[in-house]
Order: sequence, then C-alpha cells, then structure tokens
Amino acid sequence: MNIETFEAMRIDERGAIEWTQLIEISGMPEAELRELVDDGALVPVDIGSSSWSFDAHALPIARAAGRLRRELDLDAHALAVVLRFVARIEELEAELRALRAGVAQPLRR
Amino acid sequence: MKYKDYYAILGVDRGASADDIKKAYRKLARKYHPDVSKEPDAEEKFKEMAEAYETLKDPEKRAAYDQLGRYTPGQEFQPPPDWGQHFAGAGTFEDIDLADLFAGLTGRRQGARGAAFTAGRDYEAAVRLTFDQAFHGTEIELELSVLEFDDKGNARRVPQRIKVRIPKGVTDGEQLRIPGKGGKGVEGGRDGDLYLDIMVEPHPLYRVSGRDIYIDLPLAPWEAVLGTSVHLPTPAGAVSLKVPAGTRAGQQLRLAGRGLSRSNAPAGNLYAIVEIVVPSVVDERERALFRQLAEASTFNPRAQFEREAAHEH
Repeated sequence: MNIETFEAMRIDERGAIEWTQLIEISGMPEAELRELVDDGALVPVDIGSSSWSFDAHALPIARAAGRLRRELDLDAHALAVVLRFVARIEELEAELRALRAGVAQPLRR
Repeated sequence: MKYKDYYAILGVDRGASADDIKKAYRKLARKYHPDVSKEPDAEEKFKEMAEAYETLKDPEKRAAYDQLGRYTPGQEFQPPPDWGQHFAGAGTFEDIDLADLFAGLTGRRQGARGAAFTAGRDYEAAVRLTFDQAFHGTEIELELSVLEFDDKGNARRVPQRIKVRIPKGVTDGEQLRIPGKGGKGVEGGRDGDLYLDIMVEPHPLYRVSGRDIYIDLPLAPWEAVLGTSVHLPTPAGAVSLKVPAGTRAGQQLRLAGRGLSRSNAPAGNLYAIVEIVVPSVVDERERALFRQLAEASTFNPRAQFEREAAHEH
C-alpha cells in the first residue's frame, strides 16, 4: 500500500500570521482575543498598523488561549492572567533544564 | 455507538440547572485539569468531563442529548428513528462516537445560521522519539482516525495512515505542525492542522538545553593536572578532545556546532562538563605514589577557608 508522506513543520518556520487567521486558530470571539492583545499576552509585529500581523510564536499562545478558555470556562481577564502564569512556568522550566543540563550529574551513574 | 451518561460524569442529576452544571464542571476541572492535577488518569477523566460539559452547557445540544434516551454507560445504542430529523438531518450514525455526533450538530447548526463555512478541527497526536531520532531527524508512521462530514452534514470516522518526516534537531516538548491534516473543513472551510507533541526519551549520556547538548566528562586527577586527549562520544560520532593541563572540575569544554542543528538557525554547541573522579580501590604501589605526591605538593585546596578566617579575626 502506498502511504503518503508529509513534512512536519516547526512552529517557528511558519511566516507571519494575520489577525483573521489567529482568530480562526484560537476559536475565540474576536473581541476576547483583542483583549489578550490589549493585555500584552499576544503582541502584534507592528501594533501601530491598522491590520495586525503576528510572528509564529503567537500561534501556540492563541491555541492555548482557545483551549484554556473552553476547558476552564475563563473570561478574558482570567485568561490573560493564566496565560501569563503559563508563560512564566515555561520560562522557569527552560531555566531549570539549563541548570540541570549544565551541572555534572554523578548520582545518575 | 457507545452511550455515555454525561450527567453522571459531571455528578449532577438530569434536572440540574445550567448554573449547577457549570458549577459542577468548574469544581471537577479544578481537580482534574491535566496542567494542574496529580490524579492518575487525570487527562482521560478531564477529556470525558470536557466532552460532557461541551454538550450539556448548550441548551440545544442538551435537548438533543436528552432525546437520545437513557442507557447503561458503555451500552451500544442507536439514536431513536426520528432523532436525526429533529437534530441532525437525515443520515446514519455509524462508525462515530457520541462526541462526533454532537460535533456534527455544531457544524450543521453553524451552516444553518448563515456562516459560509466551518474550518476543520485541529488534531493533536503524541509522538515519542529516541534521542538519536530527534538529533538526526526521522520518518514515522501515524494511524489517524479522521472525522469527515458528507454533503448532508453526517459525520463519520475515516481511518488514515500517513508517514511523517520529522526534521532534525527537535526537542522534548516541542510541537510540530502538519498543515491540512486535521479534520476536514465543511462547505469550503479550511481543513484543520495536525499538531505533533514531541516527547524525547532521555539519553544515558546526553542532556539538552535549547540547542546545546551537555555530556559529563570524567577525568582522573592526573589527567586533569597534566592534560590529556580523550575519545569523546558525540551524537554525530566520536571525536578526539584535547583536555588542557590544569583543567578544573565543573569546567565546560566547548565543541562548537556539535549540538542540535536546525534548518533555520545555527547549530548549537556540545559541552563536555569536567568531573574529577578518583579510584575507589588503589593498590599498594598507587597508595605509595599518592603519599609521595602528598608529601611533595605545596598545593592547598582550602586556601580560601584560611583567607576568610584571617579576615574574620
């Protein structure tokens, strides 16, 4: 049987994401997603422009926002706070990974 | 399809108000949300609860669910003959589960309200890779069960097998995207995407941080003092590494460009972290040589203690 092969892409290989695409990806109402921009959870490449576009890092944030809103029934303000906590946890996890990786670990042997 | 008792899953009775249902869901979500819960099977339980809430919070879907009738959870059933006419249009309900049935209802309703199209759902799949597969890139095979809708809006599950090329240099926790391989769009809506959640098995020698790789390099005390050349394994093949004389424990010896490589960024580095190890058993001759060294050496490894003590007085 001939099985089709697909290329898996890195998130950051995706080019600019338009505002309408981001709304579709998040599955959220536009007004609520706009509140996340106002709060700084999503940052447009050029916030002064009339038509916002975003870099690829906005994609996982928009997806997480839509999922958390749906699953935890959060309003826009609570969602912005939770996203900030999630971002902070990710930063700390990366720091912890770096610390663990950079120290010899004789106990593992 | 198998029956699920959405009311029992949320722990409410059939006459519960919308507010009671919301309260019950929120209480359970706090306990079982996979991001916070330490309960075993939290993810599975949460998925079930979210599915139940998705249907019961919506008055139209809840009415449609109630009209299905009552069965024992897990029991095979078919919706009553006139159910489809009222809620989902004519059609069959084979090869789908209860969640698909209500997903179909959403697609149909959005169409009826004048939306021109409905985008397909994004799917997620977990992929486990060995360290070597992640480092070099690999090709994997995936079995998917894709939800499709026909012209009448009836949902059905279609099995699909695809091969996926994973790029080199992926890391644990990274998410990859395969555009258009999620659920099919309805009435011209775009197809959803497939997201792969990458898990990389730990390697006995290497640790990863960002694009850099770390390996412990054990050295004998005399190797650290005199310097040496060692055979060092790296994911891209062993290399000969020159260790300079006077190397200290904890020092990181850098091999530029030997870390994870990516097509759109410079490769990371590999760091060998020096660890001074001592033999746990020494023979008589070795012991005599160490004694000789101890007598001859003027090296004071605790000079710092003495300097600090002098300051304090």
